Amino acid sequence: MKDFWKSGDPFVWLTGAMLALSLLMVTGLVTLVLVNGLGFFWPRGVERLVLDDGTVVVGEVSEREAIPAPDAPLGTPAEYRLQVKRGNRDVEGSDFLWIDEARIARRERPADVVVLERREWGNFYGEISALRQADRAVATGPAEAWAALEGRLSEALRLHEEIFSIEKGEIGANNHAQERLRLRLRGRELRGARDGAEIDAAHREIASLQAAYQQSVERLTRLRQGQNERLVATIAGGREVEIPLDKIVRAYRPNRMGAFAKAGFYATKLWEFVSADPRESNTEGGVFPAIFGTVMMVMIMSVLVTPLGIVAAVYLREYAKQGPFVSAVRIAVNNLAGVPSIVFGVFGVGFFIYTIGGTVDRWFFPEALPTPTFGTGGILWASLTLALLTVPVVIVATEEGLAAVPRGVREASLALAATKFETTWRVVLPAVLPSILTGLILAMARAAGEVAPLMITGVVKLAPALPLDGFFPFFHFERKFMHLGFHIYDVGFQSPNVDVARPMVYMTTVLLLTIVLFLNLTAILLRNRLRRRLQVSAV
Amino acid sequence: MPISTGTVTEGVEPGLPPPPLQVFSTRFARRRFFDVAARHAVTAGGVIIIGAILAILFVIVAEVYPLLRPAAVKPLPPVAANFGAHVLAIDTDEYRALAVVVAENGVHVVSLVGGAPVRKLELPALGQAKVTAVSAPGYRPLALGLSDGRVLPLGVSFSGARQASGRQVEANVRALDPLVMDPVGQPIRRLAYVAHEGGSVAAATVSPKQVLVVRVAEETSLLGATTREETRRVLDVPSTGEVSTLAIDSRGDHLYIGTTTGELAHAVLRAKELRLAPAKGGAKTTITVLGFLIGDRTLVVGDQSGGVATWQLLPGAEGEPELVPIHAFPTHHAAVVTFSASRRHKGFWTGDGAGELRLDYATTGETLLRIPSTTESATAIAYSPKSDGLVAVGAGGRLLQWDIDCPHPEVSLRALFGKLWYEGYDRPAYVWQSTGGSDDFEAKLSLTPLLFGTLKGTFYALLVAVPIALASALYASQFMHPRLKAMIKPTVEIMAALPSVVLGFLAGLWLAPTIERIVPGIIVSPVVTSALVLMAAGGWRALPEGWRSRLTPGTEVFLLIPVVIGGLWLSFACGHWIDRALLGGDYRVWLREILGVTYDQRNSIVVGLAMGFAVVPVIFTIAEDSLSNVPPHLTAGSLALGATRWQTAVRVVLPSASPGIFSAIMIGFGRAVGETMIVLMATGNTPVTSWSIFNGFRALSANIAVELPEAPQGGTLFRVLFVAALLLFVMTFAVNTAAELVRLRLRERYRAL
Repeated sequence: MKDFWKSGDPFVWLTGAMLALSLLMVTGLVTLVLVNGLGFFWPRGVERLVLDDGTVVVGEVSEREAIPAPDAPLGTPAEYRLQVKRGNRDVEGSDFLWIDEARIARRERPADVVVLERREWGNFYGEISALRQADRAVATGPAEAWAALEGRLSEALRLHEEIFSIEKGEIGANNHAQERLRLRLRGRELRGARDGAEIDAAHREIASLQAAYQQSVERLTRLRQGQNERLVATIAGGREVEIPLDKIVRAYRPNRMGAFAKAGFYATKLWEFVSADPRESNTEGGVFPAIFGTVMMVMIMSVLVTPLGIVAAVYLREYAKQGPFVSAVRIAVNNLAGVPSIVFGVFGVGFFIYTIGGTVDRWFFPEALPTPTFGTGGILWASLTLALLTVPVVIVATEEGLAAVPRGVREASLALAATKFETTWRVVLPAVLPSILTGLILAMARAAGEVAPLMITGVVKLAPALPLDGFFPFFHFERKFMHLGFHIYDVGFQSPNVDVARPMVYMTTVLLLTIVLFLNLTAILLRNRLRRRLQVSAV
Repeated sequence: MPISTGTVTEGVEPGLPPPPLQVFSTRFARRRFFDVAARHAVTAGGVIIIGAILAILFVIVAEVYPLLRPAAVKPLPPVAANFGAHVLAIDTDEYRALAVVVAENGVHVVSLVGGAPVRKLELPALGQAKVTAVSAPGYRPLALGLSDGRVLPLGVSFSGARQASGRQVEANVRALDPLVMDPVGQPIRRLAYVAHEGGSVAAATVSPKQVLVVRVAEETSLLGATTREETRRVLDVPSTGEVSTLAIDSRGDHLYIGTTTGELAHAVLRAKELRLAPAKGGAKTTITVLGFLIGDRTLVVGDQSGGVATWQLLPGAEGEPELVPIHAFPTHHAAVVTFSASRRHKGFWTGDGAGELRLDYATTGETLLRIPSTTESATAIAYSPKSDGLVAVGAGGRLLQWDIDCPHPEVSLRALFGKLWYEGYDRPAYVWQSTGGSDDFEAKLSLTPLLFGTLKGTFYALLVAVPIALASALYASQFMHPRLKAMIKPTVEIMAALPSVVLGFLAGLWLAPTIERIVPGIIVSPVVTSALVLMAAGGWRALPEGWRSRLTPGTEVFLLIPVVIGGLWLSFACGHWIDRALLGGDYRVWLREILGVTYDQRNSIVVGLAMGFAVVPVIFTIAEDSLSNVPPHLTAGSLALGATRWQTAVRVVLPSASPGIFSAIMIGFGRAVGETMIVLMATGNTPVTSWSIFNGFRALSANIAVELPEAPQGGTLFRVLFVAALLLFVMTFAVNTAAELVRLRLRERYRAL
């Protein structure tokens, strides 16, 4: 026994256990996210639970847990309860219900249960009995109604799409044009011009836009009148409800789906997730605007950070006179990477938004004041803030690369009569390119995952428009944007219905993790290859 | 032949200009030009970029500076005026264009920009009476006490319009129904008057020891008829002294009486029977000034000997409200004669008989401004409605004016970091409460609870992260198989790259409810798991040699993964058993009843684990680097002398790498201090100051993220949040710099070895 302690092996094992724990934590976390996120779109069977008092509950069983029984004597077998997602929030008030297993008399999976994804009030679970158009029954009976629903739903969706495109497209463009004219008039007014041919023309144009707007509204009204189909359905408990067809996004009968149909459904849902706009205060639908915002912000940031980082690094390593001052600057730049991101955000608010943005507004957009244009959070300021936050990463990586380029290479170039600039540009920088790329990728990964500074410099939970669209000047750097990381925070913590939203948050997390881990792995691989190459070239 | 390129030739022929090159001269000149241009461009660019990065600190400091800048006062030219009698009170509009002046002979309106003569207002209700007393002007209605025993309330309002010639302000003064205080018609000596919803209350003295209280209740019935009911009561003051001042709060609930013996008495006006609470105060000199600050909770008391103090009505021991002294301000050189409170904040001006004026801030207890005695002492002062100016009537009738620049009176170092006695609190406290429901809400901006929260979160995160990270680093660098290490390091780096919003989300929505079920298990898990690992190690030694040799040394970690899982499982089972058998089934009840600790679902355990997770890779990477870089001949020597690998690791490697480990922990500290999303999502964000591991906290960083979007630019809250950012910056920057310096020295030492 004494030997055992003396050998030190138990301590080695203990330290090993700590490392094992770290590894477990990483893998556990990734698994947790994947399991919770990826399973979300797989259609789950809908069960019909008949309780001992005759109550019927229809829904997806989403969880099973032991009932806490602090007073029970030790050794009693635990009792379980089920969490059922019964949907029908409009009727029931809440989506979820806990049911003790002991109370359940019968569990079955009726084939005819229909799940409707709706634009409001979450999912519907129940059976459908008829489809009506205006006051006329088109189909009665579950099977007929289903057939009719399948036939007409695509038409209803198309109609909805058309209405949406008029609202967003036509009327949106019209509003945009009117707003531009209004701002132009206000700008003229600020410069003292109150009448003139140009102003009259603008007024005429506004009038014609107004007329066009009226026409669009009339078309909308006509189209809306066509949305007169309703589905008659019964929910568990026998209550009958009518659901307008235009409120339905998707209808399916999960208990009749085979594995193949389910896989197809999964793919559709996944595609909707990455390509569609969010619905129901971000708890349903897709996250396309958030993906777009994240990607665009990271790209703007990369465009800004790359030249800044390279110039600073080249200056520090190649041009500046090495000495205590440059060492101090180097340490300071290194340490900036450790300054909390929220501090950069605060700097962005104080400097970019209020100082620079406020000035830009006064000089270039006085007609819009007091509504700020650049004097409020927006994608440009967020990107600039993140560029500042990540520039130390690029500087450090580039400098490391520059330091690794053997002296002989530079001397050879100089000996062949190249100027210092030519040496740097043609010989040194190409050799450092992988380092720069590594730094840039790490910077992008950091920027994609960073949320705190964005919360105060321009991210919103729901942006009305993307920062890139068809209206001149196409890039709208002043616009607020959505971000995957903020989406996670917002939906997970600010949403009124966290339980329903949770799977959605897990899925968004999967997406964000994929992006960040992919970028990081690329950087690590690149760096390893680079190290090997430099080792070879140094020999 | 050598071609001059600046760099190369400099070393070869110092001081000599390079010989001009004949061949390709134009092309060479161009290349040379590019070279020089690039040098300048890169230098300028580099300096600008680095300067811009380092400018962060300056921008933040520039935003913070106005908070701590001392208040400034600028005298404006006085306006000559003659009111023909002694002046009792003055009030002004928010642009300081006009002043309404109450003198013994009536009410006057005078322009403060000069040019217009004094206009005496026609007030028929005044009659032949003289004004003998006046109630405190300001945000409450002005009332005049007359020589015939009546009280005349005035409705004073200012209407302003912007015109081409400038701002035109009109004063509208109208007399309301007079109240007959003393039917006999003795002159009123002291007066307090308030109008509140549904009526008004006046308190006045006509004789030294009696206070007359008249309450008017007005009720409008559904039909529109107004009934008016007057109740009149007489209050005898049980004091040796005489009544010298009166004050009533704006709700008409409390009457305060100051006496010539320096006593302060208080009566509840709504009570059936008027009863004076025991008089308080030991100044022994006449109380000359009684006035309220905005919100009417703090009473300012000035006396004959120049003392100024604030008092508050707090719930006393028997539930009865009790007057409690809060702050004593520096003493004036002469008796306090004038008082005017801000209508925006808790600041107030007092003036003494010698002419000195002073601006004090009630919450912080600090003096903000002092206007030294002028040639004439002020008989009445008014702090302008926007709190940006002061108007006074000099003894000679001149109107004196000052511009006051004091944008953030409520902030001082003491307010940010010290304990302050806020209104309605029974003792001084550290409070962060930046927004409130009502208009007269006072923002409480103590950063101490937030700083405490940050340090608490950091402490628990390091408590989790340091053992795990250092032990892992030691194992990875000293005992692990190199090929395995090449795989493990990237994994840990991936761990560092996990976005903190993901960790925060999991901590808040998954970890917190999970932990709530297994708290006792979590607490015993370090012991139980270690015991199991040690047993596994012992069991391994007991195995036959043949089995053991199958395992490559340095890959124990694979064996250990199931052991650790088993250990955790066993701990949770143990925890469950402890909960049932020892803690009565629900540890939360046990905690509350036995230890008096409440359990929050989002608490420091959750933060410690989640933030620990974020900090582990930071510490691991740096510690592992410095442990691996210990020169191999040291370890080789130690092993050759017969030390075991554990002895070598602990006695040789650890001490020589200790500075690196220190700097690793410092950098981990920096990361934890600034972490925002995890603390935002995994704590309840309540600014409490308790070290309990079962409570949450509110950290500086999360506080900035939550409140900055709501803070108006340039406002006090905005700037205080910049102070929070500055604190974070300074803390992390200092710690990181220290760590970096330590690491540099370590590198030197290894080079020397």
